[in-house]
Amino acid sequence: MKVEFTAAQDALRKELRAYFDELMTPALKAECDEAMGEGGGPLWREALKKMGKDGWIGVGWPKELGGRGMSPIEQFIFVEEVMRAGYPFPFLTTESVGPQLAEHGNERQKREIVPKILAGECLIAIGYSEPGAGTDLASLKTSAVKDGDGWLINGQKMWTSLAHFCDYVWLACRTDPDAAKPHKGISMFMVPTSDPGWSCSPVITLGEVRTNATFYDNIRVPEDAMVGELNGGWKLITSQLNRERLSLVNFGPTAEMFNNIVRWAQTLDLPTGGKLIDEPWVQINLAKVRAGVEALKLVCYKQAWAMTEGNLEMADASAAKVYGSEFFIEVYRLLGEVIGEASLISRRTDGANPIASRIERLYRTASIITFGGGTNEIQRDIISAAGLWMPRASR
Amino acid sequence: MDFGFSEQQRDVQNLAREILSDSVTAEKLSHYDDYKGERFDRELWSKLAQAGLLGVAVDEEYGGMGFGFFELGLLVEEAGRTIAPLPLISHLISSALPIQQFGSSAQKQKWLPGVCSGETLLTAALSEAHNDDPAEPYLTTAKVDGDTLLLSGQKTNVPFANIANRILLAAKSSDGVVVVLLDPKSEGVSLTTQQVTTYEPQFVVNLDNVRIHAEDILIAAADGKAAMQWIAERSTVALCAHQLGASDKAMRMTASYTAERKQFGVLISTFQAVGHRAANCFIDVECLRLNTYQAISRLDGGLDATNEVQIAKIWAGDVGHRVSYAAQHLHGGAGIDRDYPLWRYCTWLRHNEMVLGSSAKTLAKLGKRIAAGDAFCS
Ligand SMILES: Cc1cc2nc3c(=O)[nH]c(=O)nc-3n(C[C@H](O)[C@H](O)[C@H](O)COP(=O)(O)OP(=O)(O)OC[C@H]3O[C@@H](n4cnc5c(N)ncnc54)[C@H](O)[C@@H]3O)c2cc1C
Repeated sequence: MKVEFTAAQDALRKELRAYFDELMTPALKAECDEAMGEGGGPLWREALKKMGKDGWIGVGWPKELGGRGMSPIEQFIFVEEVMRAGYPFPFLTTESVGPQLAEHGNERQKREIVPKILAGECLIAIGYSEPGAGTDLASLKTSAVKDGDGWLINGQKMWTSLAHFCDYVWLACRTDPDAAKPHKGISMFMVPTSDPGWSCSPVITLGEVRTNATFYDNIRVPEDAMVGELNGGWKLITSQLNRERLSLVNFGPTAEMFNNIVRWAQTLDLPTGGKLIDEPWVQINLAKVRAGVEALKLVCYKQAWAMTEGNLEMADASAAKVYGSEFFIEVYRLLGEVIGEASLISRRTDGANPIASRIERLYRTASIITFGGGTNEIQRDIISAAGLWMPRASR
Repeated sequence: MDFGFSEQQRDVQNLAREILSDSVTAEKLSHYDDYKGERFDRELWSKLAQAGLLGVAVDEEYGGMGFGFFELGLLVEEAGRTIAPLPLISHLISSALPIQQFGSSAQKQKWLPGVCSGETLLTAALSEAHNDDPAEPYLTTAKVDGDTLLLSGQKTNVPFANIANRILLAAKSSDGVVVVLLDPKSEGVSLTTQQVTTYEPQFVVNLDNVRIHAEDILIAAADGKAAMQWIAERSTVALCAHQLGASDKAMRMTASYTAERKQFGVLISTFQAVGHRAANCFIDVECLRLNTYQAISRLDGGLDATNEVQIAKIWAGDVGHRVSYAAQHLHGGAGIDRDYPLWRYCTWLRHNEMVLGSSAKTLAKLGKRIAAGDAFCS
């Protein structure tokens, strides 16, 4: 039992921190801010390709797949640092769909798509949710029908984030409408967004984050656009979501924000005398955040370690997701309280304090991951069943 | 980074779990309820001694196993899982470890072999009225008199002061904090019984010009405060380990109960509200586990762990409280029925929450460190 990094891992962390200090130019930062932390702009793309070229995106991937052959812990350190640097990293592509393709994809997908992912040249959106299929994802209706030596896809997806600048949608389709159980009739496809039958329209959310409704109108894809087995999509969806969960609750950005706010409060003079940080209630709020971040760090590291050992427990992955997503909301509230009314001022105001306006925005975006990525109710169902062996109601 | 246990750690854990879970039964624990009997299972104590576990972290030359603090933490966790009627923390962590760390070779030779064999019982007086900071004794003073000290004052909530061979305690002297090993039979010592929520025997120790001879002075004034902080950190994190074992057990007891109890014709575990409250406990206990292990392993490795210990204690307080009430609630009446084993866990969860600083108090301490720039995230 040892929670500290090895000297080599510490060195890697330092190297990455210096790397991102250089990479995150003011112009790139401004572009990312404009994109509301989503990325997609030209400087953003350029930076992603640079990370690919420099061998970072696949640092923890096996060498045979074009990675650097380090472990999931190094991969985790990389993701933590890139997110800490404030770069909107397309982790859905690199950390969750990418590994699925590497594991379950056919030869063409492994040869053509995986190397592009590691090079930062291919972006993939996730097409699960539909207007009528949210938490009950297995009820999805978008269909793929056999058409000669290919498949004909028709339907509508909802909340297809990043799709407006992605190359593919990792699309869940119904391939067997008569399956005994709905989740047994679903298959996965890689659908290119360049197809004329594909279109999308923006959906803007409370935090200004853009997502999309996407439409699939008689899109014909070849046989080898399918990923994994016919009607075997559910397994891919659940293991993709398992991987996604770890990235969703990365603690790097929160640790960074905490440190910044402490430094800010240490220097802020109160008009009534003294510094903001001298206030007992400020210290208590900061201590609550600090204690919570520590737990988040440990929960994340334990999972990175468990992935390295190949024994990631389902209940632990769900626990991390629930804890992290609900803790973030608490963090934005507690830190927002420390900042006070300034945490209501948007970054568009001249002279807005960047730390305060970040909280203004984050507070508006925080709810997404309590229901996205597998809603917390379902995660708690998993925890009580898989972690505590409590029989649950059948659904 | 390694979240697994070494083989040695697993051995200690398994051995401790086996002995304690075999020996500690609800029926046996009931003998100590309401102070019907002194809450100390001497038979079990000698079983642990025979297995070598009382000396798990004591050097081999004094009859111990010579393992580290982490192994000792695992033993305490198992004691928490069974709420074993044993004074493990006060004896091993708050007293024996400091003797091993700070004592002269004569003191080590005198006390440590008996610690391992179970023949000697040590305890520590870490609290005073309205003062749970062991490193800042206000109410207990020491006057230098030749090479002896004269102690006066009062300590509270001292476990097993009546039967301990020595009580480790700190006193304020004119030039710092001294740490001594007090013989409770010395002239000028009087004990007053305190009845506490867990039924552990505890005492107010009153000191009226008690003479401490040179051989019982553990640390002279110059180093006493730092040594007491050393002791406080280890004792605090031991409470966290005990809390971890106890809350994990209370949670699992609850999960099993809901998987057997039926209402409306179905198992109550199938109600989502029930499952989710238990899932919250699972998350809480995991957070407590990781923070506790982190703090213990840092101390074991000789690293600074002030922040990590404080954070673990905050979690221990919060998690103990939340798990205790969730467990009671999800059991319904059975949870508080004295014929069902849960209720005793609730009193220990409360004990560990409050001793050596509650969550609120520890948050305030951590907050001060944050303000001083001593607790940034790495
Ligand atoms: C900004 C944003 C980005 C997104 N990005 C993507 C994306 O890229 N790709 C994608 O496919 N999807 C995406 N989603 C969709 C997201 O995954 C869904 O919102 C989520 O699955 C929940 O579905 P729903 O919104 O239909 O809510 P519903 O399923 O209708 O849920 C509403 C409420 O009911 C509760 N509930 C539902 N079922 C149960 C149950 N069995 N037990 C207890 N409570 C239950 C839920 O927990 C929730 O609180 C995104 C959503 C947003 C807002």
